[in-house]
Amino acid sequence: MNNLLRKGNRGKFFSKFLANYGQEIVLLSSMIILFIVVSQVNPRFLGGNNLNTIFSGNAYIGVAAIGMSILIITGNIDVSVGALIGVLATICGTLAVSGYPIWIAWFAPVVVGMIVNSIVGFIVAYAGIPSIVVTLGMMSILRGGLISVTGGDWITDMPEEFFLAQQNFLGIRVPLLTLIFLTTIMFYLMSNTTWGRSLYAIGGNSEAARTSGIDLKRGVVLAFAIHGMFVGFATILFATQLNIIASTVPPNLELTVITASVIGGVSIMGGTGTVIGSTLATILFAAIGSSLIFIGVSAYWLRAIMGILILSTVLADMARRRRASL
Amino acid sequence: MKDDSALTLRIENATKSFAGVTVLNDVSFDLKKGEVHALLGENGAGKSTLIKILSGVHLPDRGKIILENREHVFNSPKDAFKNGIATVYQELLVFPELTVAENIFLGHTPKRHGFLIDWKKIKSDARKILDNLDSHDLDVDARVGSLSVANRQRVEIAKALSQKTKVLIMDEPTAALADTDVRRLITVVKRLKEQGVSILYVSHKMPEIFEIADKVSVLRDGNHVGTFDILDVTEDLLVSKMVGRSVDKLYPSSKGSHGTPILEVSDLSDGVRFSNASFILHRGEILGIAGVVGSGRSELAQTIFGINSSKSGSIKVDGRKVLIKKPRDARNLGIAYIPEDRGTQGLVKEMKISQNISMANLDREARGILILSQQEILNAMNAIKKIGIRARSAVQVVRQLSGGNQQKVVVAKWLQTEPRILVMDEPTRGIDVGAKAEIHALMRDLADQGMAILMISSELPEVLGMSDRVLVMNAGQIKAEFSKDQATPENVGAIMTEKVEEVA
Amino acid sequence: MRVLIRHESILLLVVIIALFTLSIQAEQFATIENLLNQGRFLTEVSLVALIMTFVIVTGGIDLSVGSILGLSAIILGVAWKKMGLPLPVAIGVALSVGTLAGLFNGIIITRFRVPPLIATLATLALYRGLAEGISQARSIRGYPDWFFILGQGELLGVPTQLWIVAFFTIFTGFILGYTTWGRATYAIGANEIAARFSGIAVNKTKLFIYSASGFAAALAGVIFVSRVSTTRSDMGMGLELDAITAVVLGGTSIFGGKGTIIGTVFGLLLIQTLKNGLSLAGVKSDGTYVAIGFVLILTLLISNLFNRSSEG
Repeated sequence: MNNLLRKGNRGKFFSKFLANYGQEIVLLSSMIILFIVVSQVNPRFLGGNNLNTIFSGNAYIGVAAIGMSILIITGNIDVSVGALIGVLATICGTLAVSGYPIWIAWFAPVVVGMIVNSIVGFIVAYAGIPSIVVTLGMMSILRGGLISVTGGDWITDMPEEFFLAQQNFLGIRVPLLTLIFLTTIMFYLMSNTTWGRSLYAIGGNSEAARTSGIDLKRGVVLAFAIHGMFVGFATILFATQLNIIASTVPPNLELTVITASVIGGVSIMGGTGTVIGSTLATILFAAIGSSLIFIGVSAYWLRAIMGILILSTVLADMARRRRASL
Repeated sequence: MKDDSALTLRIENATKSFAGVTVLNDVSFDLKKGEVHALLGENGAGKSTLIKILSGVHLPDRGKIILENREHVFNSPKDAFKNGIATVYQELLVFPELTVAENIFLGHTPKRHGFLIDWKKIKSDARKILDNLDSHDLDVDARVGSLSVANRQRVEIAKALSQKTKVLIMDEPTAALADTDVRRLITVVKRLKEQGVSILYVSHKMPEIFEIADKVSVLRDGNHVGTFDILDVTEDLLVSKMVGRSVDKLYPSSKGSHGTPILEVSDLSDGVRFSNASFILHRGEILGIAGVVGSGRSELAQTIFGINSSKSGSIKVDGRKVLIKKPRDARNLGIAYIPEDRGTQGLVKEMKISQNISMANLDREARGILILSQQEILNAMNAIKKIGIRARSAVQVVRQLSGGNQQKVVVAKWLQTEPRILVMDEPTRGIDVGAKAEIHALMRDLADQGMAILMISSELPEVLGMSDRVLVMNAGQIKAEFSKDQATPENVGAIMTEKVEEVA
Repeated sequence: MRVLIRHESILLLVVIIALFTLSIQAEQFATIENLLNQGRFLTEVSLVALIMTFVIVTGGIDLSVGSILGLSAIILGVAWKKMGLPLPVAIGVALSVGTLAGLFNGIIITRFRVPPLIATLATLALYRGLAEGISQARSIRGYPDWFFILGQGELLGVPTQLWIVAFFTIFTGFILGYTTWGRATYAIGANEIAARFSGIAVNKTKLFIYSASGFAAALAGVIFVSRVSTTRSDMGMGLELDAITAVVLGGTSIFGGKGTIIGTVFGLLLIQTLKNGLSLAGVKSDGTYVAIGFVLILTLLISNLFNRSSEG
């Protein structure tokens, strides 16, 4: 009987794999096709410099998207992530130029990120205010606070060793390495630990999670704290990649991070998705942005074309999901 | 070591009140090892409170829970579960995105090295439990979201049994099940009983209770009316204990005369769930459609009402061919549809009674687009009086009403549109005996006044008791028609369930 | 209803306290002139927030309003200057484009069943991109003087655009509170399936609301251009979050089914009072965002606390 079962399972393995990782497969194949096509048009696209920009320059978005995916899977969201990265980067840079040891400068954003998000998580879980609202308020506080404290000044003259994101390790840029490492580890932890599985349970059916003895509130606070940790990691990569730290972050950074999670297959309703998807989506969108330049699209139309691409991905995804549910 | 007559669970003087209202008053009874103990009572009698106390959701204000001679205080559901009391709730609390095996072991997952999930053990243990429940066909790797209601329930039961369970509480386990699935469930319950599990079984359905229960306890208004040996009681006696008065007749009698055809459906198909449905509904007639869940009966009703679109076939009202593309078209033709699931399809529970009652008719009652709120409340007060909705006022929020009264609000909403054809999908599902009788009486009244009623039900006694004529649906087809005299539980039931294949 | 009133009374109290404290702190604050002038800055976000209230009551959200504002402003400038259309016609074109952009959101949401957050997140990028592409990042100036009446002129001593806001407020308040359309909006937000089963035209209502949201954003865009005398493609960036903040501060539930126009108005007033009052009191403009953030979280915390104790 066992033999029979196993055989049946193996037969179904492929279709199950497709059903479970459909979004990841779509993203990966789109990326491969993109690289092949664009490199035919303009071989310089595959040049080392450009690949570096695509993979490493955007790695911090991917790292933040890992944290965001964890949150969204539990049915929450964080719209303050862009503002938080700005604040943490300033803290990080200020410590570095004030003569503190480098490791403290690197460590601080992680700790502060966790503290800030734990507070948010606490309000969400224990006061019952929806996360989109709390983080909207938090965004206002962080953004306003940052500008009023820095007065819009840039931080420069950080010590040489500070620039972690400019280092290579085993011939690969540190940001890309970090992204791959964190994605792998989180993917593993989320599918193979009770903590990981409980995230899906909280987002999928919180009533059921409660009667199953999962402590919902603690689970939500923990998810926010871990998200804060990833925002901290993202900040280190963001702050150490250029020689200056501006007191502003790219506009709509929070929306870019959320988009990466969602396009990566994390359902905004909570309960599904993997971090591999969000990482692939980050890289894919960076690659698309870069390839548009390489095939000679006017910079002014870049965002419109990205918008159309995001929209078509969303529509294709909806169609796929509807077919899957039939 | 084992004493089969040993007491497993004793509840002593359990009392609980919410906001000053006593919902459970001094209730005590015993549950023996390997006993199936039915718990009966109308909605609001205190059954769910009692269950929640036993399963650790609520703490009792007073009273004791004694499990195997030791007093316990359950502070959380996890607490109760660890001590061997597991509950299968009416609304199944499974996680659609997780697999069968994960659902079964959620909350006490076997681990390696302290935190890594032991997948091999989970799967093989889940397999063992399911096999023990005769569910060899259930794949432990399947996503629970893709399973049928009956299979999800099996997952819930398996979850309840995944730890050493001494007491299994089942809250209306058959409420949403088709007959064949009810049979399978009963087999499972009997098997668990043989294995020495004590079962507290809450249900409204008398035939089941008489088939599997050893003892039955009746609650009314939070009080314990009594505990009886099943062999000592009759159905009528239990019903009268529940409602506190004797219910003379279960179903109101028909005058037996009906008028001219009002709705003629011919060869209607939706291309997916039902095909070639043809029937005629007359004025003053209650036409029953018997069929299990998934037989296409609700889809047929919803197509007539314009929720789903039809592929082919035609509908005539008053002898004239009509095109119904949306619910509003149906309403304008005098068709009303009381849906099967009142929580999601019938009511906006956050809204007031008056706002729910006016919802389907508001455009007619308004002046232009302006709502006349005085009139709206007045209409609601009239409906409340006429239908006998028990509510504090017309502006009470619907969520606060009991199931039976909520159902009456849905009925009131559609009567407000002054329909001539009333389609009722499971009109009394999940409501207590008293409200059920009232809705049945109302239906007969309406029919006697000339309303044509199409009633869908999976409860055989209801179909047979209420209908003037019975259609039987199976696998998307109308398979047979019986007059009231011809329709017997045997021949209707046989066609309802013949060669039903499980749709997973 | 009682819960809503409670939230709004708390909010009103906060507004009054803020007004009072600020008028003591800064003498210029309580002058009529200052208050009316503040109204000008309030206009764009108000128009958007009033319709956003409907959107959020249906359980949806519209993140693309800021981008629609930018797109409409660009269309206005391009239609007038590049295509040589008379300005009134160009205004009409801009309003139509905004409304169509809103309708497009509605179609993605109702026809393709994309969650509103995602749909409008995507069109946020798309519409802003179109604005950048069409404008090629060049600003457009030189509008005729009569056009500035809208954003800089006065009517009976009150800034012109405040009349528009006042009309919009009363109109939307009436629609949401007293008509069948408003009732349909609440019903959809509280239970969409039951609304459909009750014969309410769910999709049509939503299409209408998202189109109205696009129209309001476009109108805000036209007024914005008139107020600052120029058109740029980055106009209205971040407007969506300001509008949502005001709506949510006003007690509208982000889950849908609950909310009022009067609450949104209080929310808007509070935000603008804080911004202006604090800046008059010497706080830098960015510092006021900090205050708004705290007020948003604290108001909801207090309101939740009250509701919980009244339920328990």
